Amino acid sequence: MATSDVKSQGAAELAMGQSPARKNAGLVGQYLTLGLLSLLVLGPIGLTVIQALSPPFRYVSAGRPLHPVEVSWQDRTWFSGGPLSLVVRTLIVFALLAWLQKVASGGGWKDKAYLVPSRIVAIVGGTVALALVMNPLFQSFFKADGNTAVLYAAAVVAVAATQVWAYLSPARSPITSVVMALFTGFGLISFCIVTMGPTVWTLAWTRYDLGPAMGRSFVMTICVTVLQVSTAIMAAYAFVFLRFPFKRILFALFMATLLLPLEVTLVGNVATIRQLDWTDTMKALVLPFGAAALGTFLIRQGFRGLPTEIQDATRLDGYGHVAFLTRFAVPLTRPVIAAFTVISALSAWNQYLWPRSITESNSFNTLQIQLRLAAASEVPNANQAIAAALVAAVPVVLLLIAFQRQIIRGLTAGAVK
Amino acid sequence: MSVTDATALPDGAPVVDAPTTSRRRGTYDAKEVGLALLFLVPSLAVFAVFFYLPFARLLSWGTYESVRGGASYNQVGIDQYREVLGGHEFRIGLWHSLQFVLWTVPFGLVLGTLLAVAAHRRLKGIKVFQAIFSSTLASSVAVSSVIFFFLFNPAVGFFRVSWQSSPRWAIFAAALPAIWQNLGLSFVIVLAGLQAVPDEVMEAARLDGYGAWRRLTRITLPLIAPVLMFLLVILVIYGFQAFAQIDIITKGGPGGASETLVFKIFKQTQDYGKGAVLSVGLFCVTLVVTFIQFAILDRRVHYGDE
Repeated sequence: MATSDVKSQGAAELAMGQSPARKNAGLVGQYLTLGLLSLLVLGPIGLTVIQALSPPFRYVSAGRPLHPVEVSWQDRTWFSGGPLSLVVRTLIVFALLAWLQKVASGGGWKDKAYLVPSRIVAIVGGTVALALVMNPLFQSFFKADGNTAVLYAAAVVAVAATQVWAYLSPARSPITSVVMALFTGFGLISFCIVTMGPTVWTLAWTRYDLGPAMGRSFVMTICVTVLQVSTAIMAAYAFVFLRFPFKRILFALFMATLLLPLEVTLVGNVATIRQLDWTDTMKALVLPFGAAALGTFLIRQGFRGLPTEIQDATRLDGYGHVAFLTRFAVPLTRPVIAAFTVISALSAWNQYLWPRSITESNSFNTLQIQLRLAAASEVPNANQAIAAALVAAVPVVLLLIAFQRQIIRGLTAGAVK
Repeated sequence: MSVTDATALPDGAPVVDAPTTSRRRGTYDAKEVGLALLFLVPSLAVFAVFFYLPFARLLSWGTYESVRGGASYNQVGIDQYREVLGGHEFRIGLWHSLQFVLWTVPFGLVLGTLLAVAAHRRLKGIKVFQAIFSSTLASSVAVSSVIFFFLFNPAVGFFRVSWQSSPRWAIFAAALPAIWQNLGLSFVIVLAGLQAVPDEVMEAARLDGYGAWRRLTRITLPLIAPVLMFLLVILVIYGFQAFAQIDIITKGGPGGASETLVFKIFKQTQDYGKGAVLSVGLFCVTLVVTFIQFAILDRRVHYGDE
């Protein structure tokens, strides 16, 4: 073919014009740019982790108004901080080890070859070994008797020992396996010291009542999402598949609510909630977001994309509207509904202005409002407020990892056709 | 089966009751209308109680002036609208909101495009960088505000600068977390736009001897211009609605120097009269922004078959 000839010719010319050295330099430059940009994105988080792990400040009468104080890390052990934090940190290490082993095996999660006995032993054994060796290591930090470095090396070797067998494979030399195991031990121990040693996370958790606040946020998010998605599906179905009078006017009424964001109706809605005596209640947090025009619009688009033959065929087969909705329309438009569900959940979780306006006692704060309280109340204990913010971000990070595709599809729904 | 076939059949023939498309226009099946009502009522109830009712009340409350901080209200008619919307407070609030928008939007557009162009290529491990660039999606406004409140706190911050307490820089200090948090969204949207550009176009440009910079400015940017417009609209709306950043970082201060329109409305949830007028003012601003949005999107997006 003529065009492909031209193309390959051009490509050949291009390849000749670029020496391998220049190509390599370009590659390095690209990675350098990407690395710098990553630093820009992750930098604030990194600095924040450092801040969270720094000692707190105290007011003093003389000299500078604030100065860092010494903290006793004596209570810093793997098993301290309550059962929840114990379970969480153990699970984090477990997941990290499982991921490392998956990468080392070169397979996917579903590969049968991944879960051989040696890897299971390495994952479980590594977690147990870490939990055991971290205690003396944490203790040695505040004793400062010069054994820390020795203990550190011993801990790395102990953890690495649990990993060697799992890294052995016909494709690798034994030395490479040992080096990989040592690197795993080194990385994991360092990770645990940085993130799990200090009790600042558990302190923040209890001091700012993050547990109950997170619970309220979860309940609110789930209620809002379920309500929004179900009302949107029903309304969209009515608009697409049912014949009724005033359809256009009703649809316009739906879409016109997009012109009335919460910020505009805030004063009126707060008055309504106060008149109903609903302040500090879950229904006040949930009901105003019970329906969403955006969701109705998106799902309506999804329903309209269904071939009419499907509806005609199912009608002839004797399916009623409800059966058609639940067995065909919803399953067939699952990508759209999933995308809207995730967007709806994210925005409900991130609600700020509304909960801030209708909660009057701090005992009914959602997580986001509790963070504000943490930031506003305690400048001297800034490290704990910062830790609280980082802890509060964890659920959404997990959500993002699990539903990355749906989230991105939902966010870009209007951008690209 | 076409529509004309069905209408030609006498009523009561079995075909009539099959596909909806074959029904005669103008007549409605009572059962169907009932079902539609059942399906629409939940949404309509929410919209009536929490969207249209408060808005109608705001319009009427705007004509009442509060006496002694909301103890009683005097009917003053349209005068209050004229006074508040033409007054200094509304104008300064709008200016502060606009400043917030002017800080966040250009940064969002430029940095989003930069990240997306950098990460839109075939390289080993590019997925990792794409995940990193979109990672700020995981942060909520409150989380990012607390993070930046302490990063740039004048007393205990990592960078001890006085932006948060300076009237001149307070809005910038509050805009910083928004700029950072918008990175993920901007990146994801621009990347989606870049991925929609056919590879052949870029290949052809390369063969024509276009360098990387000319490819970007002459081909890529014009092709993703609609996506950038979409992003612009979203960022402007986010900017005008920003509240948490102000509430957490500057609390409107120092001396009201960072009180945006939304913040002023939030402060007026006790004084219904003035709060109502400010809300109507914000509604007008939203209306203008939304109309621009529809004008842009309508020209470009083709919605289905209507």
